Amino acid sequence: MIDVQPVIRVDGVSRWFGSVVAVSDVTFDVRPGITGLLGPNGAGKTTLLRMITGLAGTSSGTIEVFGQRVRDNPPLYRRMGVMSEHETVYGFMKGREFVRMMGRLRRVTNLEAAVDRAIELVDLTDAAHRTLGTYSRGMRQRMRLAATLVHDPELLILDEPLNGADPRQRVHFQGLLRTLAAEGRTIVLSSHILEEVEQLADTVLLIVNGKLAASGGFRAIRAALNERPYHVRVICDAPRELAAAIVRLDSVDAVNIDPDGAIIVLSRNVRDVQIELPRLARAKSISLRRVEPLDDSLESVFGYLVER
Amino acid sequence: MGTVYWLTLRQMMGRWRLLIMTLLAAMPVLIAVITLRSSRAPRVEEFELVVFSGMLAGSIAPLVVLAIATAAFANEIEDRTLANLTLAPIRRWQIVVPKLLATITIAAPFIATSAFLTSHVAFLGDVKATMAVTVSSLVAVSLYASAFVWLGLVTTQAIGVGLLYIVLWEGFFSGFVSGVRLLSIRHYSIAWMHGLDQRRFAAMDSLSLTVAIVTSIIVFGGFLLLSVRRLRRMDVP
Amino acid sequence: MTTDTSGRPNAPTTGSGTVFDIGYQNYTGPREGRQRARLAVFKDGIRTALGLGRGGRAKILPWAFIAILALIGLVMALMAGAADRFVGPGAAERLNLPSHSDYYGIASIILFVFAAVVAPELLCRDRRDGVINLYLVRPLTGSDYVIARWSAFLVVMLAAAWLPQIILFSGLSMGDPAPVGYLREHWLDVPRFLLAGLAVAAYTTTLAMLTASFTTRRAYASVFLVGLFLISTPFTTGLASEVEGAGGQWISMFNLTNIPVHVNDYIFGELSAITREAPAATLPASVLTAWYFAWTLIPAAILWFRYRRLTP
Repeated sequence: MIDVQPVIRVDGVSRWFGSVVAVSDVTFDVRPGITGLLGPNGAGKTTLLRMITGLAGTSSGTIEVFGQRVRDNPPLYRRMGVMSEHETVYGFMKGREFVRMMGRLRRVTNLEAAVDRAIELVDLTDAAHRTLGTYSRGMRQRMRLAATLVHDPELLILDEPLNGADPRQRVHFQGLLRTLAAEGRTIVLSSHILEEVEQLADTVLLIVNGKLAASGGFRAIRAALNERPYHVRVICDAPRELAAAIVRLDSVDAVNIDPDGAIIVLSRNVRDVQIELPRLARAKSISLRRVEPLDDSLESVFGYLVER
Repeated sequence: MGTVYWLTLRQMMGRWRLLIMTLLAAMPVLIAVITLRSSRAPRVEEFELVVFSGMLAGSIAPLVVLAIATAAFANEIEDRTLANLTLAPIRRWQIVVPKLLATITIAAPFIATSAFLTSHVAFLGDVKATMAVTVSSLVAVSLYASAFVWLGLVTTQAIGVGLLYIVLWEGFFSGFVSGVRLLSIRHYSIAWMHGLDQRRFAAMDSLSLTVAIVTSIIVFGGFLLLSVRRLRRMDVP
Repeated sequence: MTTDTSGRPNAPTTGSGTVFDIGYQNYTGPREGRQRARLAVFKDGIRTALGLGRGGRAKILPWAFIAILALIGLVMALMAGAADRFVGPGAAERLNLPSHSDYYGIASIILFVFAAVVAPELLCRDRRDGVINLYLVRPLTGSDYVIARWSAFLVVMLAAAWLPQIILFSGLSMGDPAPVGYLREHWLDVPRFLLAGLAVAAYTTTLAMLTASFTTRRAYASVFLVGLFLISTPFTTGLASEVEGAGGQWISMFNLTNIPVHVNDYIFGELSAITREAPAATLPASVLTAWYFAWTLIPAAILWFRYRRLTP
């Protein structure tokens, strides 16, 4: 694979406010596709994103976007679309006016067509003529997204974009982002909602207490945390008998039986368990009703890292 | 730049605000009219000291400009809408200059009209004197605007600091500490007034017109440059 | 969902939900009522006004104002001390140097600006950010809230108004060659300046808070207040000097900075340097005092009324 220049390069970046360290020695690269910045509230995600967008400076370290220093570099914003977590609209303006103004500030050619397209993308064409003050929160969010997209940026930085979005909007938004990413764009998305990031992001950056706790695909991250065993739940006819057989496997660390009679297998080598389990069940003539991994999700990774 | 200019103008329009500014601007005119109708005509110095220097240049102009200039940046920072502008691919001065011009555009008509009418009435229609007063009021507006726009960028307590400056520095000290006059916008604009109509205002002491022009340019340009610098270096909320 | 024999649905069986005990506890202590709430709002008002507990920057403005006010008092004391030392004892009084009765005339504008800048912090912020609703859902009515805030600011204003006078008094008594004699002769000054300070503080607090209650942006409240005080002075002075007789007196009454100073004069029994020139000073003391009360009580009533009707 050709090593393409990363779109965003963050190198040894720290940011402190007085004696409070918000971001501590973070280094990573961002490449095209969807990158999710995940972390609990107060982890430093917003500070990090503000530094990446050049709104705030770093206390130490450098940030480069498209190979250039991002701070005090306005021409870069032509290729970047940023949506911050706070409401930043002018209530007295009409929706369309707001998007048009943002387009004009970014020197968009064929302005009206671009504005129409952006508003259509977020499905607000009907409401575009009303003032932003009359919009619901979700609508304001979407119009802000339209303003972020009006100049067709290569890089999108979105801080908690789904704040306050209802399920339907969420689905629409996810589809939109996937389409945009498929067109070759780079999208950086921050959230504290695990499902969002899990469903959307190719790469996940976990920020906990200002530090980068993990990066990569979340499954890969989970695999890398090999100190902690996986939990697999097995529901069958004769749990105790099967459990007795499972516990003899070398690849199994521990076997518990929960109050409902399901077997919880702890193992560091799930692949082995996957192969052995059906064999054992067949040998004992026990029917397996259900086998499911309990922590094959970002949530468990997240939970584990936060606890650490 | 035009976009930022029109945006700022729209942000500054407000019914109550405009009403109050009209009221404020009308006051010196009223005084002039009433003074004229009275039997005891005040000396030029007295009138000038109280009305032009004290009221117009020293209180009304800076207060009006302060109220408007804070809307240029301080309100945007408070509302967190400034990022809309700083995240655009435009140079920082292309944000500061239109905001400054918008501030002057809104404040100037009120102050200049007030100055014009007041001096027209007080000096019985003397064109030169009227022009001198009007021009000096415009200078005052521009200088205060540049200073207060910068102040709004630099601190969230812009109003408090601005008011302290107006009341203590321009209002109190510059009245009797002559050194302070060298650093007082009110006195720069008064110096313009004296310089432009030297015949009428000959008896009064102030900076020479040349010095006033030079210091005005330095003050205006200086605060403008400081504002641009600040915008480039600050953390935008 | 399963149903029992009569066809009604059963509640879900156990095992489908668990509550973890992670240490959250219900508060089981005593619940204090309205009085405590009022006290909390009051204390918070004082802390906000003085910038306590909010880092260095928030303290700069209020303490700068207090420092300036105290400085004026100190300067007056030093001047009197210097006069007594170099010219002779009692010279300060003979030369009619500014003293307790003059202080409020001189410092009133600074007190007003202080109120204009700080009072809006107490009221505007809460309404702008919607925090006022959090107060109102407690056992706290709108009028409780505004009275607590008003009291808090009054306390701060009293401190600002009394401190310089106390400094002045201490300076004068210690500077006198016979301090005890000075105290015995001039002890009446103390209740006088306390009362005058109260008059100025109450007036200033009420007007500042009333203005702040009309807008949610602190900036506009502050500028409006300062404009009101700063401009009414030359305006009414200029106008009053043109209009003769009773008209001039009444116009001069609208000089907002002087209203409490007239009361100050009445308390001290002598005209201060500032109000000496004002035509209004010739009006009888009863009229001036009634005017003062009108300008304090009516705004207070309006303020109370505006907040009384607030609901979350």
